[in-house]
Amino acid sequence: MDRRDAAPAIVAEGLTKRYGPVTAVDDLSFEVRAGAVTGFLGPNGAGKTTTLRMVLGLARPTAGGATIFGQPFAALPDPARSVGANLEVCGMHPGRSGRNHLRALAALAGLPTPRVEEVLDLVEMREAADRRAGGYSTGMRQRLGLAATLLGDPEVLVLDEPANGLDPQGIRWLRDFLRGVASEGRTVLVSSHVLSEVEQTVDDVVVIHRGRLVQSGPIASLLTGEGVRVRSPRADELASALARDGAEVRTEGDVLHVQGRTTDQVGDLAFAIGVPLHELAVEAASLEEIFFRLTSEQDDEGTAP
Amino acid sequence: MIQRIRGELIKLRTTRTALGFAAGVAVLTLAIVLLTTLAGDPKTVADKRSALAVGSAVSALLLVFGVVGAGAEYRHRTLAPALLVAPGRGRLLAARLVAYGIAGLAIGVVMTVVAFAIGLPLLAGQPGPDLSTSDYLRTGGGGLVAVTVSTMLGVGVGTLIGKQVPAVIGTMVWIFVLEPLSGLIDHISKFTIGQAETSIGGDTGGDVLPWGAAVLVLVAWTAAFVIAAAVVDSRRDIV
Repeated sequence: MDRRDAAPAIVAEGLTKRYGPVTAVDDLSFEVRAGAVTGFLGPNGAGKTTTLRMVLGLARPTAGGATIFGQPFAALPDPARSVGANLEVCGMHPGRSGRNHLRALAALAGLPTPRVEEVLDLVEMREAADRRAGGYSTGMRQRLGLAATLLGDPEVLVLDEPANGLDPQGIRWLRDFLRGVASEGRTVLVSSHVLSEVEQTVDDVVVIHRGRLVQSGPIASLLTGEGVRVRSPRADELASALARDGAEVRTEGDVLHVQGRTTDQVGDLAFAIGVPLHELAVEAASLEEIFFRLTSEQDDEGTAP
Repeated sequence: MIQRIRGELIKLRTTRTALGFAAGVAVLTLAIVLLTTLAGDPKTVADKRSALAVGSAVSALLLVFGVVGAGAEYRHRTLAPALLVAPGRGRLLAARLVAYGIAGLAIGVVMTVVAFAIGLPLLAGQPGPDLSTSDYLRTGGGGLVAVTVSTMLGVGVGTLIGKQVPAVIGTMVWIFVLEPLSGLIDHISKFTIGQAETSIGGDTGGDVLPWGAAVLVLVAWTAAFVIAAAVVDSRRDIV
């Protein structure tokens, strides 16, 4: 069965969270496809962590709700085996070793103690596991947090800014880790404010800004339709033809930036009017640029009189 | 439920907090017994019972232990990872209550062993009537009841307030300032946590309720705080 047709793993409907006059999350609805890696993106303070806390029952929505496999998180029959989550609000007692932290969680979840050693191996933390958590680096804490999410070998992973505080090596390790869990067919919802961290790993994106949904869908949909770059010695002629055809065209010397048309369409039109082309390419803005554009559009709306 | 209690017990065993309080209890017990027997020169049954009735003072310390333990969950943000593998705040709180009750009882055993091991030989050398079996039961067994329930009360207080440092300070002020002040008002002080612990622990001095009534009063205090904590905690966002 195509995973795209499968029921979504996570559904958020009208999630809203207000703290007094401040609306942290505003009528947010999105779906996370089962078996896909979804990047939950937005600048710091966009409401990502608050949203994830509401999805996982750690915070009460002011309005709306969220379900995982059709049920609220707290109602899942076997939560630890269904969902593994590591949020920014997950701490560790500084006086307790990493291994004991995981042993306590395994016991709470009713999981066998040997599983602790397995997850310590998965995150390559076995050697440091007996040290008190107070002395761990941020990277080690992140790894232990990931280890905790894997305890129940869950179908869904929810990771909140897992790359925060990681050095470049750690980020590479995380990327490999995410690719690994994704290749096992798990559903992953990973939040980040740094797109480059997840750009290469995610299938889908949910972009939020100021608590509101900006865009959601396959990452390719974010990249396609971005435009076509076409270079021609008769650029003006082609530009008018494209404009007549309803495309949005910006001219830069002999280069045209075309919006709303595919390379195929531009190429065919050029052929039809007999205009030679010297270059025809998808103009893929980096996700970073798209992201900034999407969020700044909303800033403009927000500040409009 | 059993697995949650197991998890909470592992948490208790794997930091130095419980061990530290156990050591503190041993030292406090030793000091009280030595002071009351050597400096107090007990001759009557009531005096001798007081010398062994360390449960009252230790209860106050273990009340703070419960507050520290429950408050640490918020301070070190260890509630979220627990709730993510075992959702249900009420069940987690119930498991923590049981686990801390067990820990309080275990520390109470340390208290009783130290008190009797030091106190009995010292009291044997004192003049006046000897203590009866019921006196030993009242101070030993009563002490265990007092410290166990007090530890659970502490968990209720710590969870209700949800911030470790204010909870500890508030508890100290309550126990050592406000409750003693209640002695100024007639017939009130015997219903305080401290006087209930005193009676349960086998000390008959001061304005105290009979043993059974004192147990009911301490359990009522505990139930009130635990129920309030459960209600507040179920509505609280984990931050």
